[in-house]
Amino acid sequence: VKRTVADRIASVRGLLAASREVYAKRHSFGPELARTTGLSLMGVLLGFEALEREATDDELASLVAAAGDIARVHVVLSANVFTAALRAIALARAAAHFVSVRPSPRDPTLARALVAAARDPNIQIGEDREVGAIHPCEVHVYGRDRTIREIRGRVQPDVVVRGHGPGMGVAIVTRKEWKEQVIPLVRDVVMFDQRGCLSPRVLFVEGDEALGASVADLIHYELAFTHTTNPRGVLSAAERSEATYWSDKAAFAGQVFAGEGHAVCCTQDFSPVLVPPPGRHLLVVPVRSLESAFAALQPVARHIVAIGTDDPERVRPLAPGHARISELGRMQRPPLDGPVDRRSAL
Amino acid sequence: MNLEQTLEESRSLHARARAMIHAFEGGEPPESFDSLATDLARFQAAHVPGYARLCAARRISLAAIARAGDAPAVPSDAFKLARVFAFDEASVTFRTSGTTSGPRGQHWIRDLGTYDAGALAFGRAMLMADLSRAPVLVLGPSPEDAPDSSLTHMCALFAREFDRDQDRTFFVRAGPMDVSGLRDRIGHLSPRWPALVLATSFALVHLLDGLGGDVLPLPEGSRVMQTGGYKGRSREVAADELRRAVARAFAVEERYVASEYGMTELSSQFYEATIARPDAKPGVFVEPPWARVVPVDGATLEPVRDGEVGIARIEDLANVDSAFAVLTQDRVRRVPGGFELLGRMPGAPPRGCSLALEELLAPDPAQ
Repeated sequence: VKRTVADRIASVRGLLAASREVYAKRHSFGPELARTTGLSLMGVLLGFEALEREATDDELASLVAAAGDIARVHVVLSANVFTAALRAIALARAAAHFVSVRPSPRDPTLARALVAAARDPNIQIGEDREVGAIHPCEVHVYGRDRTIREIRGRVQPDVVVRGHGPGMGVAIVTRKEWKEQVIPLVRDVVMFDQRGCLSPRVLFVEGDEALGASVADLIHYELAFTHTTNPRGVLSAAERSEATYWSDKAAFAGQVFAGEGHAVCCTQDFSPVLVPPPGRHLLVVPVRSLESAFAALQPVARHIVAIGTDDPERVRPLAPGHARISELGRMQRPPLDGPVDRRSAL
Repeated sequence: MNLEQTLEESRSLHARARAMIHAFEGGEPPESFDSLATDLARFQAAHVPGYARLCAARRISLAAIARAGDAPAVPSDAFKLARVFAFDEASVTFRTSGTTSGPRGQHWIRDLGTYDAGALAFGRAMLMADLSRAPVLVLGPSPEDAPDSSLTHMCALFAREFDRDQDRTFFVRAGPMDVSGLRDRIGHLSPRWPALVLATSFALVHLLDGLGGDVLPLPEGSRVMQTGGYKGRSREVAADELRRAVARAFAVEERYVASEYGMTELSSQFYEATIARPDAKPGVFVEPPWARVVPVDGATLEPVRDGEVGIARIEDLANVDSAFAVLTQDRVRRVPGGFELLGRMPGAPPRGCSLALEELLAPDPAQ
C-alpha cells in the first residue's frame, strides 16, 4: 500500500486523538496503572502529563521522516514507562501500513487503551504473536539490551529489528539563579520515579563544593515536600536493596541528604559506580566548568539519552550528539518528532 | 591525634587480631569477637573519613555499641570510589580484577603480617589438614606478573610456607597456561608427597579444555583449591560438574577438591571444609573464628533468619586499617556447619527503560 507523507501524518494524528481520549479518562486508569507500574496514584497522574497529545506539523514531519516506509511493523513493549506506548505505536504507524503491538505483559493497560481508542483497523494488539513465527518487515523492541539481542536472534533472517534500549538522563545547572531550577528538576526526577530513560539521575552544578552541597540540600527539601503531595510509589524488594546499597556507598563517598522515599548525594567527583538506582535518588557533582562535566561523563556518554539544563546553548556543543537537550522540567516531554532515544539502533 | 598515635593504635589492634588468629592454632581466644570488632569500628570511624560519614548518615554512634553487628558495613563498591584506609600510605595495595565492569576496587594494607597470619592459619587447617608439607602448584600468575592480586599473594604465601622445594610453582605466564610445563612438573612429583594445586575456576576450565579428556594424575592424597568466578574468561561450568571433572583429571577424591571464597576487599578467606573433615558437605563454606558471614536483608540490613537468603555482610577482624565489616552483593544462606554461597545479587527487574548499574558499567561493545 503506497502512502503519502500526508497519509502517514494523518495516521499519527489519529493516534494523538486517541491519546487525548485516553488522557481524558486518565483517572479511571489510575488504580490499575498504580498496581502495574509501582507508581503511586498521584505518580500515575503526573506520568500522564508526559503522554503526547499534541504535535506540530513540523514535528510530525520529522517523526515520519525518521520512521522509514515499510509495509508491516510489530512493536514489542517490554520495559518502558507506561506512556511510552503512544510514541512507539506512532512511530510504527508512521512507518507502516499495518502495525501489531505486543504490550508489556506486566503493564499492558495503556497500550491496549490507546489501540482501542484509535479505532484504526491497521493497528492491532498481537499479544500472543511469537516474533520468530510472524513475518513483519520490522520489529521495534522497547526493552533491555538483552531482550533486544534475544529477539534479534529469533526473527526471520530478512526481518529488521530496531532496538530501543535503556538509558539515563543528566541534568546540568550553570547559572547563579540555580534555585529557580530546583522545582523543575525535581519534577523531572519524580516523574515515573526515575524509571524512564529520560529521567535525570545525575546533576552537575557549575560551582564549588559548597554550592553543590547547597543545591543538594535544597533538592532534598523539595523532594521531601513533593513526597507529601505526590508520594513515591512502592519499590520492589530488589529495588529497595539497590537503594540501600547506593545510599550507603554514597554516604561513604560524599554527603547524603536523605528523607522519606528519597536520597540526594553530593560528591566531589563523578564515578559511574555512584549513579543512583531508580526511585527518587540524585547524585549531585559540583564541577569547575561544563567541559569538566562532559569529560567526567565521557565513559557513560553512550548511555545518555537526555540532558536537561538551564543553559542549552552552552551545553549543546559539548553534549553527545544523540542526546536530547531541553530545559529542566521538560526532560520527560520531548516533542513527538521521532524516537525519544536518538542513539543508533543496537 | 598525630600519625604516631594512630600507628600505635593500629599496631595494638593488629596485635589483638593476631592473638585471635594464634588462638585458633592452639589456645583460648584472648577476647570476644565483639570486643575487638567494636574497637576496630571505632578506630576506623576515627581515621577513615568515609566510614565516619557512613556512621553519621546511619545515625549510629559507635561510642556505645557492644556488638559487631551494630556497626555499619562498608559497601564493597566503596573500595572503587574512595580510600578505605586509615593512613595516607600503604605497604601493599591489592586491586580487584576489573574484569567484570567499571573501575577496579583497591584495598590498601599497612601491615601484611596480619593478613598472612590469618591466611596461613586457616589455609593450613582447611587445605593441608593432615599434611605438614606439600609441593604447591599454582594455576595462576606469579607475584611478579600480578603484583596487585591478593589471590596471587596468597598462593605465593602458601607456596613459600607449605612447599619444601618451590620448584616451578606458577603455571600461567603472560596469559596462557603452561600445560606441558604442568604435566612435566607433575610427572616429576614424588608419589610419596601429596601436592596442593591452587587455581581459579576459569584456569581449571582452561586446563580441562586443554587436556581434552586426558588426565594428569597427582600423588595420592593430593588436593585442589578452586576459587573465584568466571568473569567471562572461560565457559562457565556448574560447581558440581567442575568438581567431578577436576577430581577425574587429577585422579583425586572429589572431597579433595575444595572451593575457597575470598574477596580483594577482605583479609580473610572461607573454605569448603571437605578436605579437613570427611563428613563436611560440599557447597558449605566455613569461617575462621576471626571472621563472620552474616546474611542480611538487602533493604534493612538486618540479619535474616537462619536458612533464609540474604546478602553477605562480612565481618573480618583482620581488616584492621580498612573496613572490618564489608557489605557485599553476594547472596548467602546460613546452613548447619557454615554458609552457602548463592551467587551475586541480581539487579532489580526493570519496570521502565531506565539504565541499570550493571548495564552502565558493562564494557562498550563498540570498543
